[in-house]
Amino acid sequence: MRRRSPDADVDAGSGSSEAGLKSIRSKRTDIDQRTPLDHWFAAKGWKIFPFQREVWKMARQGESGLLHASTGSGKTYAVWFAALQHAMPILAKRGQLSPVVAEADQPKARCKSVAETGLRILWITPMRALAADTARALEEPLAALLPAWSIGSRTGDTSGSERARQMRSLPSALITTPESLSLLLSQHDAAARFDHLDAVIVDEWHELMGSKRGVQTQLALARLRTWRPQLMVWGLSATLGNLQQSKDALLGLNRGVLVQAATRKKIVVDTLIPDHPSRFAWGGHLGMQMLSAVTEEIDKHASTLVFTNTRSQAELWYQNLLAARPDWAGQIALHHGSLDRAVREWVEVAIKTGQLKAVVCTSSLDLGVDFTPVERVLQIGSARGVARLLQRAGRSGHSPGRVSRITLVPTNTLELLEAAGARKAVAAGQVEQRPVPNVPLDVLVQHMVTIALGGGFRSDELFEEVRSAYAYRALRPDQWQWALDFVARGGQSLIAYPEYQRVVPDEEGVYRVPDAAIARRHRMSIGTIVSDSSMQVQYLRGARIGTIEEAFIARLKKGDRFLFGGRMLEFIRVHEMTAYVRRATSGSGAVPRWQGGRMPLSSTLAHAVLDCLEQATHGDYPGPEMQAVKPLLALQQKWSALPTAQVLVVEHLQSREGHHLFFYPFAGRLVHVGLASLLAYRLARRRVTTFSIAVNDYGFELLSTTPVDIADLFPASTVTGELFSSEHLLEDVIASLNATELTQRRFREIARIAGLVFQGFPGQPKSTRQLQASASLFFEVFRKHDAANLLLTQAQTEVLEQELELQRLRETLAELRQRSLQVCSVTRATPFGFPLMVERFREKLSTEKLSDRVERMLKELEKAASK
Amino acid sequence: MSQDKTDSDIKRQSDGLQKVTVGGVVFILLPQRALLWQERKILIVADIHFGKAAAFRAGGVPVPHGTTAHNLAMLDALISAYDIAHIIFLGDFLHAKTARAPTTLQALQNWREAHASMTLTLVRGNHDRHAGDPPDALNMAVVEEPFLLEQLALCHHPQQVGGAYALAGHTHPVIRLAAGSESLRLPCFVFGPRQATLPAFGAFTGGHVIEAGAEERIFICTDDKVFFYPTQAP
Repeated sequence: MRRRSPDADVDAGSGSSEAGLKSIRSKRTDIDQRTPLDHWFAAKGWKIFPFQREVWKMARQGESGLLHASTGSGKTYAVWFAALQHAMPILAKRGQLSPVVAEADQPKARCKSVAETGLRILWITPMRALAADTARALEEPLAALLPAWSIGSRTGDTSGSERARQMRSLPSALITTPESLSLLLSQHDAAARFDHLDAVIVDEWHELMGSKRGVQTQLALARLRTWRPQLMVWGLSATLGNLQQSKDALLGLNRGVLVQAATRKKIVVDTLIPDHPSRFAWGGHLGMQMLSAVTEEIDKHASTLVFTNTRSQAELWYQNLLAARPDWAGQIALHHGSLDRAVREWVEVAIKTGQLKAVVCTSSLDLGVDFTPVERVLQIGSARGVARLLQRAGRSGHSPGRVSRITLVPTNTLELLEAAGARKAVAAGQVEQRPVPNVPLDVLVQHMVTIALGGGFRSDELFEEVRSAYAYRALRPDQWQWALDFVARGGQSLIAYPEYQRVVPDEEGVYRVPDAAIARRHRMSIGTIVSDSSMQVQYLRGARIGTIEEAFIARLKKGDRFLFGGRMLEFIRVHEMTAYVRRATSGSGAVPRWQGGRMPLSSTLAHAVLDCLEQATHGDYPGPEMQAVKPLLALQQKWSALPTAQVLVVEHLQSREGHHLFFYPFAGRLVHVGLASLLAYRLARRRVTTFSIAVNDYGFELLSTTPVDIADLFPASTVTGELFSSEHLLEDVIASLNATELTQRRFREIARIAGLVFQGFPGQPKSTRQLQASASLFFEVFRKHDAANLLLTQAQTEVLEQELELQRLRETLAELRQRSLQVCSVTRATPFGFPLMVERFREKLSTEKLSDRVERMLKELEKAASK
Repeated sequence: MSQDKTDSDIKRQSDGLQKVTVGGVVFILLPQRALLWQERKILIVADIHFGKAAAFRAGGVPVPHGTTAHNLAMLDALISAYDIAHIIFLGDFLHAKTARAPTTLQALQNWREAHASMTLTLVRGNHDRHAGDPPDALNMAVVEEPFLLEQLALCHHPQQVGGAYALAGHTHPVIRLAAGSESLRLPCFVFGPRQATLPAFGAFTGGHVIEAGAEERIFICTDDKVFFYPTQAP
């Protein structure tokens, strides 16, 4: 049936939030638009879901929106057809008959004019590896519905010849990444290229929204909306705790609609329970005890993904699985972000085609192509957050109607508690929020130069445009002026640098980039992904294995062995930023540790865990996880007490090491770093003491050599007083931590994004090399000579917000003040205290000056050397 | 490196200054990253890279002003603290052609006029070759490496010179000092048996992490002190 009454269509979409929509639609176009889609779905034997109809209906009204749907639910076609039908009425006007007819009767030559209108739909994906797969999926209906349309992709992987061809004429639909889109915007004729753009789809928006790549996308969309005010934008998002904000971040404050796909995917979360859960659990102690249980699970299923939290953990598990099951050689593989692209791509294809029994992987496979054959997902260690858990669960059972299942494999007994919490949170539908960056000036500065290249800008016009992007809704005129001065004058507006010529206004006030070399360098460094300085790892003659951080390589001596890419390698030498290795014949070696990304336990998960503990205080241990962790909790309760959402437990212990204070706020390791440093600082202010600090996701330890007076510290049975006060929080946190060093590290990324530091590229001219300086050098120079530089302020803000989670720290303090306080003097380390004692992370609270610090460090080294 | 040799070589003075005797000369190692040859009133600095910030600005990279003034103030401070008649620059006096910005050259000129009687010598470095010699008005003697002075060979590029002890710059050596969880990068002097490398003097210069060779002695510069860095003897 090709035609149905438009009323029926409205019914199918009823119940949607269409309040206040007053668009004038012609019934005829409705009929024409809808029919081919129905036809196509029917030919495929697929059913149209109500949420798909709702998206199409909204799109016909020109409405933008965010579609919240789980993977494998048909979300791709929901937005793809929305975009296509948005473009179709225009096609019809140009003499195209009903597309279905077009397919049969129309000679290709007549469609040429269609192709010549250029780019109509832009599809933004966070992963370039996804582009090819997406192109295939999008192309399929295109052949039947719009044969004249071409589809192409443009990412960092696109060949030079293909790029050149696209520069002559862009395809009707283009799949691209935020970086490649910004590059397109930097072309001098960018406006003309987007002259016929009707719609933009942003895939996996939840992955982008929390990062600077998401901000870059917001700015690009603001630019496109300026050129095409009627532009329709649809985003796709997985489950988040702040979907409304996610929508606003994509579309602008209070703009567009949020469509929820009613089809809730069934997700099963369960746990492999260790046979002998120890009552004293330190990080990873259970790890390999679970090996046989994991091999059993892998054995039972055709294809399994084994997720780990770090690359080093992935290397270890891969090695141990192979050692346990040598017969699996060739059937199991390793996948993480440091492996060579060719290796990763091979693994991805092999999973897709069902050739692999198991893949040990990291977040590198959180996203990506659909792995339909995957039956089973195992998560080694805590997933740290509910959203991540759901994301990984979704890698199995990847098609409508199938069940996704994730099985948690605890690496220490306390992680059973997290597993119980995770199940509780998933059942209750509690998912983390993802914060959106706020006014990141580094991204703005980069964008300004991009736009100056892409046709130029006037200050007041671009200011308004940028403010329409969610991340910059609070951008102040003085901040804007600072950024403009930074790119146009080289810094403080009061000083003229005649030699500085990055962005220059012409006599009409249009800012452009006059210098070709600056333009080239800017295009080379567009983007916000900053990789750690890493080195290629390569066999002496031939194959590349991947990349490892320079810092790890720097510590290696010739002949040292290390585990990488699933193999034991022997280090030979470094030559031109490449570390040469050969296969090691035997022996054991170090596992490289990659920096970054030890995620803290999320607030959502932490609260779920506190709920579980609350139940335990009443003797209620539901589920296998709680049963297994019961002996540990019972002992904790006997020797001390169980911390809950109502009670903050503090333990006091005297040992040969000194006086220990253990606190268990359950607020995640980052907050605990801040909280521990804050308390140490405030305690030291009362009485000069030095504390050693240890933290984990559950609590922290303060250790001092001098006695602490418990009665004096905690006079009441509530969490009150100056110690836990939120007053002067910012100042105290900055003073208590070595904030400068943290900020300097953070500045690396900012310097790169703002165009201060270039990542070298092959064949770069000498003149470029004379413009190379490290981010730390810029940091020093700015601090000394331009302390008011807003990029420094940004670095500090980012450290506070992201690395110390200041907001969460504030909330935690507020929560703690609501709790009652239970101080327990204990005679030995409790089950909760023990892992803190063995936690190696010891942070010295030090505010000494550099030369004293060097002197002390040298003494330590001498002491260690003379042992 | 044997420990006793080191001890005999280095005399820790009561004022905390490190001294090293090489090529028959007793040098004082200054934390400002310079060598002082007190006997002959000579100050030796390497890699000052004047005008680097201006060169960056000319390339469209915004760097605040103040680094030239800082370099000159540093020289001034050393001149007033010690009796200095002659400054030898071990190469890379100007950073690039684009470093010859009017404000930079004017600042150098003013400084020169304030120290009119000072002898200035530049041993050409790789950057000088590209940037060109300092303006004549600065009244500097410009020489090629190795510039021989008594038993010393003054150079820009680290090298061995027959019959002399070589002093050079060029590599901007820094050492990574790591103890426990702490790690710092600090500029350093590297003294080998036949040659030494000075840290970069310039305020806007980076550094390259070096590993101490078996025969080398390392001295770390902090803001106000120079430390001997004990490399692990085998």
